Amino acid sequence: MAIRNLELRARGVVEGFWHGLHRSPYHGFSAEFTEYRQYVPGDDLRYLDWRLLARTDRHYLKKFEDETNLRCHLLVDQSRSMTYGSLSYTKAEYAATLAATLAYFLQLQGDAVGLLTFDEQVRDYLPARHRTGHLRRLMLQLERPAAGKATDLTAPLRHIVEIVRKRSLMILISDLLVPAEPLERNLTALTACGHEVVLFHLLDPAELAFEFDQAVTFRDLESGRDVFLDPARVRESYRTNLHAHLASLDAVCQRLGIDCHRFDTARPLERALFDFLRGRMQRSKRARASAVRRPSP
Amino acid sequence: MSFLAPLFLLGSLAVALPILFHLIRQTSREHQPFSSLMFLRPSPPRLTRRSRLEDLLLLLLRGAILILLAGAFARPFFDQPIPVVPQVAPSRQTVVLVDTSASMRREGLWGAAVKSVEALLKRAGPQDEVAVFTFDRRTRSLVSFEQWKVAAVEERSALTLQRLAETKPGWAATHLGNALIAGAEALVEADRPAAGPVVRRIVVVSDLQEGSRLEGLEGYSWPKGVAVVVEPLKVKRPTNAGLQWVLDAGDTVPSANATPRVRVSNSADARQERFQLRWQNVTEASATEVYVPPGQSRVGSAPALPAGASDEILVLSGDDDAFDNTVWRVPVKAEDWTVLYLGKDAETDPSRPLYFLKRALQGGLHQTITLTAQPADAPLAAPELAAARMVIIADAPSSGDLGLIEERVNGGGTALWVLHDTGSVESLARLAGANGLTAEEAGGADYAMLGTIDFAHPLFTSFADPRYSDFTRVHFWKHRRLDAARLPGARVPARFDNGDPALIEVPKGKGRLLVLTAGWHPAESQLALSSKFVPLLYSMLEQAGPRNTAPAAYRVGDAVGLPAPSDGQGWAVRKPDGAEARLTVGATQFTEADLPGSYAASSGESRWRFAVNLDAAESRTAPRQLDELERLGVPLKPVPRPARSSLQPVQRRHQAELESRQKLWRWLILAAGSVLLVEIGLAGWVTRQRAMQTQPSA
Repeated sequence: MAIRNLELRARGVVEGFWHGLHRSPYHGFSAEFTEYRQYVPGDDLRYLDWRLLARTDRHYLKKFEDETNLRCHLLVDQSRSMTYGSLSYTKAEYAATLAATLAYFLQLQGDAVGLLTFDEQVRDYLPARHRTGHLRRLMLQLERPAAGKATDLTAPLRHIVEIVRKRSLMILISDLLVPAEPLERNLTALTACGHEVVLFHLLDPAELAFEFDQAVTFRDLESGRDVFLDPARVRESYRTNLHAHLASLDAVCQRLGIDCHRFDTARPLERALFDFLRGRMQRSKRARASAVRRPSP
Repeated sequence: MSFLAPLFLLGSLAVALPILFHLIRQTSREHQPFSSLMFLRPSPPRLTRRSRLEDLLLLLLRGAILILLAGAFARPFFDQPIPVVPQVAPSRQTVVLVDTSASMRREGLWGAAVKSVEALLKRAGPQDEVAVFTFDRRTRSLVSFEQWKVAAVEERSALTLQRLAETKPGWAATHLGNALIAGAEALVEADRPAAGPVVRRIVVVSDLQEGSRLEGLEGYSWPKGVAVVVEPLKVKRPTNAGLQWVLDAGDTVPSANATPRVRVSNSADARQERFQLRWQNVTEASATEVYVPPGQSRVGSAPALPAGASDEILVLSGDDDAFDNTVWRVPVKAEDWTVLYLGKDAETDPSRPLYFLKRALQGGLHQTITLTAQPADAPLAAPELAAARMVIIADAPSSGDLGLIEERVNGGGTALWVLHDTGSVESLARLAGANGLTAEEAGGADYAMLGTIDFAHPLFTSFADPRYSDFTRVHFWKHRRLDAARLPGARVPARFDNGDPALIEVPKGKGRLLVLTAGWHPAESQLALSSKFVPLLYSMLEQAGPRNTAPAAYRVGDAVGLPAPSDGQGWAVRKPDGAEARLTVGATQFTEADLPGSYAASSGESRWRFAVNLDAAESRTAPRQLDELERLGVPLKPVPRPARSSLQPVQRRHQAELESRQKLWRWLILAAGSVLLVEIGLAGWVTRQRAMQTQPSA
């Protein structure tokens, strides 16, 4: 996070990650998802899986290349609560770097990446593309400072459902300081459209531990409300409430089949990328296994 | 117990401040930004130990110190009766100057002036001396110091107010400077009281208008110890517009033939800008509108006047005050003067005197002059001679004519004998009634000039100004030397530089004979070609008979010069209000022109009319700046106002004396010091005790 330029920061994370791959036991995986479908007369024989045919004597087609290429949309929260940071950087800067890193990585793989930033409403939208200069524009949008007020996921998620018709990978990066019930409704709508959703839940270490020691007036960054608090007295209740909220979020993600990666912002970005890709790989394995199991009966 | 400065007791409220500050909950002003308060509930801070009061005894001691100090500064004392020694108040000598000028005629001013004097008299004590003067152009004593002292104490005010009630504002100008000098002199000359101090002052009750004159104060050394208190009177309507004649050269009113011009001036703070001018008592004459912006004046022609109007009264309307809105003038017709020239000159001969005389006597606005030339040897007609204002004799007339001329001169006529040759001296001697008068030719290679001139003589008064008194450029090539001593009663107003008489005046009967010993034509002198010739001739003509030309423009209070009445009796002057004033026989100065308007003087067959107008300075009614008086050395004092209660200062002095005798504040300071010492000891003991308590635990 010491590098001021977002693109350089993302490149540094990704290249470090590539170098580390030599030592990684998980080499050879990819973000692309391969799928088979049964051959019907009229299909182009060029995409017939001859190996599968020789092994199982069944006609299956590999999916077309443009269908198998990944479409990914990064949904980045830029509400006022994301500007909080007890470290040398804020959650918003961490989220922007994470989004830029993912975008750069996916761009390197040849996948199309789009961006939607939001606070209480949609601020910027960049459709998923894989072309020269697209990554640059995406970085520029990510570099814009967070200026919104409240966090409201309803409007941006409804917006993305309306404009993205093709199934995509939706990566939501937010602190999710919203009630779990409306969030579940909105995520349900997203998954119902066939989109695969990955959640990056970012929290500042101070938000997790609430280790303040002086009784002062706390000001809500989103609403501007002032509350005089003695941290020693409210710490336990805060942690209890926070964990209950996190548990409810986990339950929502589990019900909807959403990968939820929770980071505190002190965690290195490489680890976040690694967790993400590992999750992708496991998901890919599960998909392959289910695909192979399905034709065998 | 009472306090001399009770306000200092408020200082004891300072005791509450440290307690108050101590008990005020110190809420944090710092703000800790946080991403969201959705997991937090408000929790009030717990009171710490610091919020509780400690060391109550110390606090009480310190509070007592503050209270004692506040009490000491309040200077307490116990009320006691104190014998009051009566003191001798200084007596006052006051001169009250009451303005009675024309500007005081404005609405409400005179009433305010009387009230002001009344209030001043009420404040006067029995030991005070008051003199009341009224002033406008002159200062008059209404009540002198002697009259005040002679009157009984309880009657003094009534006497003064009664005399003031009989007085009204006049029409004269305001000479404030002269009035102040008169008041100061009256104070200086007044007898001082036998014992005790005395305060001498002049109280001016006036509207102090801008047009009041202070010239009298310039060069006057103001006496020491005399102060001036000005009580300016406020007028309801301060703006004003004034009307004056624009005078012709010579300070005379415009004649009947000339178009009269007037100046309309407007005050600086006026709201009106448009005024109307119209002739009074002339219904057919229309009004003329005049536009004068505030603070400016305009000169313009008066409305056209129908012929035949006897009194000419011009009235201005449209401003706040009408006291100065009327001007008068007396129409004067041009006079016909006839001059008889006896000589055999041709009018067209530029080398002869008649040629120059004809051109010099052209007449003017106020006169038409008819010059009749007649050869000296031609017989004179008696009516012609009687009609002539002056006879100029260039050649010796016949003996018969000489008798007629002598008769005319004795009857009041004037004859000018121009002595062109020595041959006619016998006829001159006969006319003058001189014996043994001889003449001889003077001058030769060198020229003569006028060396000695009596500028006080009526013939030369018009040359008295140094700008016109230079006669050295008039050279005389020839003249006749006459022994003036041989002429009975002769005066010599002008002599040549060699001592020979140049002009001789010989009184004869009721008239006079003037003898000029040199001619004015170029063969004898440069007189005809000089700028002195025409004024000298007109001066002779004006002196030759009664003037009926335009009189001077008189202002109220001016001394009006009247001509000598032809019948030798005294003038009777009828004033504008109908009153008649009689002058003594021989008196030609009328000094009772105290009203503006037309005056008519009559004495036998003689008639004389003149108009008196208001001084233009009275129209300048804006308030005068008082620093002008201070610049002229007049010490001004503020207007004294009566105290609300004379008891208060006495009581105050009484309390201060009691407090200074008792000096209770010293005891309070001592008590505060004692408590301070106790507090210091207690604080030290408490500190040591705490230190001892903390050491074992450490």
